[in-house]
Amino acid sequence: MASKPNVARVYSCFASGSDSTVTLIEVSISPGIPTFSVIGLCDSSIRESEGRLRSAFKSAGFTMPKGHITIGISPAYMRKTGSGFDLAMALGILFASGQLYLPPDSKIYAEGELTLGGELKGTPGACLRLKKARDMDFDYKLIPQSECGSAGITGFRGQGINGLFELSGIFDGNQYKETAFEYEPASESDEFIDISLLKGQEKTKRALLISAAGFHNILLMGSPGSGKTMAGRILSGLLPKLNPDELSDVFSLIELVEGDASKISYERPVRMIGPNITVGKLIGNALTLSPGEMALANKGILFADELPLYKSEVLDFLRYPLEERKVHLMKRGNLYSFDTNFIFLGTGNPCKCGLMYEKGNKCRCTANEVRKYLSKINGPFLDRIDLFSEMRSVSGKDMASIYTDESKGESLEYRKIVERCWQTAHERYGGDNLNATFPEEDIRDSMRIPENVVKYASELSDKGFFSARGFTRILRVARTIADINESSDVSVEDIAEAAQFRIRGF
Amino acid sequence: MNNDSAENRMRDFFYSAMMLNSEVTYKTLKDLTDKKVIKSYRELIDIGILKRIADSEFDLNHDTEVKISKMLDSYNDIVKIAKRYSQIACANSIEVISCLDKAYPYNWKNLSGMPKVFYCRGRTSLIDSITLGGSVAVVGSRSPSKYAQYATDKICRELGDKGITIVSGMAYGIDRQAHISSVNTKGGTIAVLAGGVDNIYPPKNKDVYDLILSNGLIISEMPPGQQPLRQYFPSRNRLIAGLSDCTLIMEAGEVSGTLHTASFAASQGKEVFVLPNNIYYENALGGLKLLEDGGNVLLNSDSVIDSVARSVMYKRMNLGCPAELEYTDPGSDAFDHQMNIDVLRQLAKIKPEVLTDDNWKLIIKDALTLKPLCADDLCVITALPFYKVSKLLTELELNGTVCQDKGKYSLTFV
Repeated sequence: MASKPNVARVYSCFASGSDSTVTLIEVSISPGIPTFSVIGLCDSSIRESEGRLRSAFKSAGFTMPKGHITIGISPAYMRKTGSGFDLAMALGILFASGQLYLPPDSKIYAEGELTLGGELKGTPGACLRLKKARDMDFDYKLIPQSECGSAGITGFRGQGINGLFELSGIFDGNQYKETAFEYEPASESDEFIDISLLKGQEKTKRALLISAAGFHNILLMGSPGSGKTMAGRILSGLLPKLNPDELSDVFSLIELVEGDASKISYERPVRMIGPNITVGKLIGNALTLSPGEMALANKGILFADELPLYKSEVLDFLRYPLEERKVHLMKRGNLYSFDTNFIFLGTGNPCKCGLMYEKGNKCRCTANEVRKYLSKINGPFLDRIDLFSEMRSVSGKDMASIYTDESKGESLEYRKIVERCWQTAHERYGGDNLNATFPEEDIRDSMRIPENVVKYASELSDKGFFSARGFTRILRVARTIADINESSDVSVEDIAEAAQFRIRGF
Repeated sequence: MNNDSAENRMRDFFYSAMMLNSEVTYKTLKDLTDKKVIKSYRELIDIGILKRIADSEFDLNHDTEVKISKMLDSYNDIVKIAKRYSQIACANSIEVISCLDKAYPYNWKNLSGMPKVFYCRGRTSLIDSITLGGSVAVVGSRSPSKYAQYATDKICRELGDKGITIVSGMAYGIDRQAHISSVNTKGGTIAVLAGGVDNIYPPKNKDVYDLILSNGLIISEMPPGQQPLRQYFPSRNRLIAGLSDCTLIMEAGEVSGTLHTASFAASQGKEVFVLPNNIYYENALGGLKLLEDGGNVLLNSDSVIDSVARSVMYKRMNLGCPAELEYTDPGSDAFDHQMNIDVLRQLAKIKPEVLTDDNWKLIIKDALTLKPLCADDLCVITALPFYKVSKLLTELELNGTVCQDKGKYSLTFV
């Protein structure tokens, strides 16, 4: 008598890079010598699940059925990795062997890794998977309780469970309850450095405001101890908080890299990189499809400290993502892309001793030494920087007033201006575009730049104020300045101010 | 005659090679000439005399004999080096002038410690013309303020138009400016290099080098092909001071090679003029200290021309040359002071809203006359927000009144 294979179907999801794919897990049990095989291009972390399942079943009071157990995971042509299929496989086996009642015609979504004790754990990439599963129609959605933060951020509805022992209650006892998930931002606080600490550095303050208001890339060069690193943290305080959509985008990548340790925060990400960074770390790992620092800085700030010390090849790799605002990874002929829509903030010393901008003639570097020091930051890279400001050490008097004056909250005022500017830009361009990120080349009409202003800018260009490539950059910066001043048309004054932020000394 | 001079040239090359590649010093030569063993250094190429000296045939210092016999050991090498010099000189049309030649600068003849042989490239006639045309050394900082650079340009042009030759060292900054400003004037320019005359140093100044080569003169006491070594520079400064009738210090920091030139000039009994500068400007303190020590104040080119004229007059008396040198009074540019800046400064404090953009520009210019300032400083001084200051600065930059360098704005004096 030929036994009819009893196939159980459970859905799960699989994330690779920034994409996720819904997978179907089919379990078939047929009589014979007990075997356990997983098919569908699975790596050993999935195949090893036999051990976890066997032990977890035992701990939770189920048994591993005897006979040929074949588990197929489709789409079978994609390579899959990770332990997130454990729960779906366990459910499939339990349904197929009749240990749990499978309600007819029901679609089940499940994910999570099992421990030997039968408890359920979250796996990296939950945010990406749940975003995919959220929009699909399932009757049962089961996820590990520890993924509730990711579920909350993505707006996923379902039931969080702690272990296999809850399953019989859900299916046999019919206690499935679909709920939305609550999440708590880890350290929701307004603890950033206030911009009033940049005493006596009016140019830098203004540059930071413009940078935040228009999402312009910015380069700060100055003496050691002039507060360059501080300026980086101030900039993050000027940016508006993430909206829920953005939060899920940002968090899904952070979660992919940091796993359970990742913190949920509405503050925009600030990724600090140093001169020792490798190209791989910057653009991401093509093998594991883990995002690099550029992708992680999406919607936030990529903060490169000590820029003149970087290897020039690293800066060359930054160029394309700064222009296209995307980074691509190639894996087995497939292109995976991450958004890299960030403010690039570079800081560094202007020369070897760093004192070039100080009062008097403290700097003893020769013209040649300065050129040599700055030569690593090449021209094409500088073309992508919109704002430049010099910084120098704070005078003693200003230093004292920093500690005595209680002028907190200047950053909050600036943030209000920035929020207003963003709103204006969104209305003007539609979508999430800002003055610096608006993709179109011909910006004259859309940015409302009158003829006489363009003429003035070209006059500046003729006098050698900036290059042809710098021309549109200046216009964009001027547009942001006009937004800050709440004027509808860009004026000559705005261009004149923007011209002061052009890059010099290279 | 021609044959004879070619032989003399070889002797000069041999002398240079010997001074650089053996232990023979000026003291050795003095001993030899004092004891009348040889008449001039040119006889040293004669291996017979050298051997006799080494064999103690003359009554000489022991030291001299030792040095000559050591030199004799490497005689062939030295001849080889001298031949190489000669080849380079031929290929680059480099001329050799010795103290025995008529063309040797008159200014050097009266000084001790000047080179017996030197090399030059370019308009050799300049060496002759400085004797009665007068020459002025212009030296200063390699990274000068706009003010010093402007003054250098103006004064060098004025002196050059009067037929006075400008002598400098072809370094960055003031030297460079001095050459550029004077090369096409009546007086012309002479660059004194620390290395060989075919060795462009600093290499970035190739443009100036080419300029001087076409219309000026480049000289050096070092043989062709010699690299400029650190220790050659003070000696070079000595030559600059020696070649000129007076020395102008345009800007000098407290530790500066420029001060060497000044002290050489003073010890040679030449007048030193110092461009007065702001006492709070650190890069000018060396020059100001010279003023404190009794240097002449450089107010305009007139006093320099007077000093050169005096020096030329003495030379003419000695030479017995009747040619008249004419110096006419240059028209002085009256610097017109515009609006009373004090009134504006008061207004800026009490009623800033009544001031126009042009008034503010005057205040900014006034602040910049003191020293270069960065944009943040100007915000503090004018008590204006940055966007206002930036607008004013862009306009000032656009019409060329100010420029920014090393993060600080300074006046261009145009």
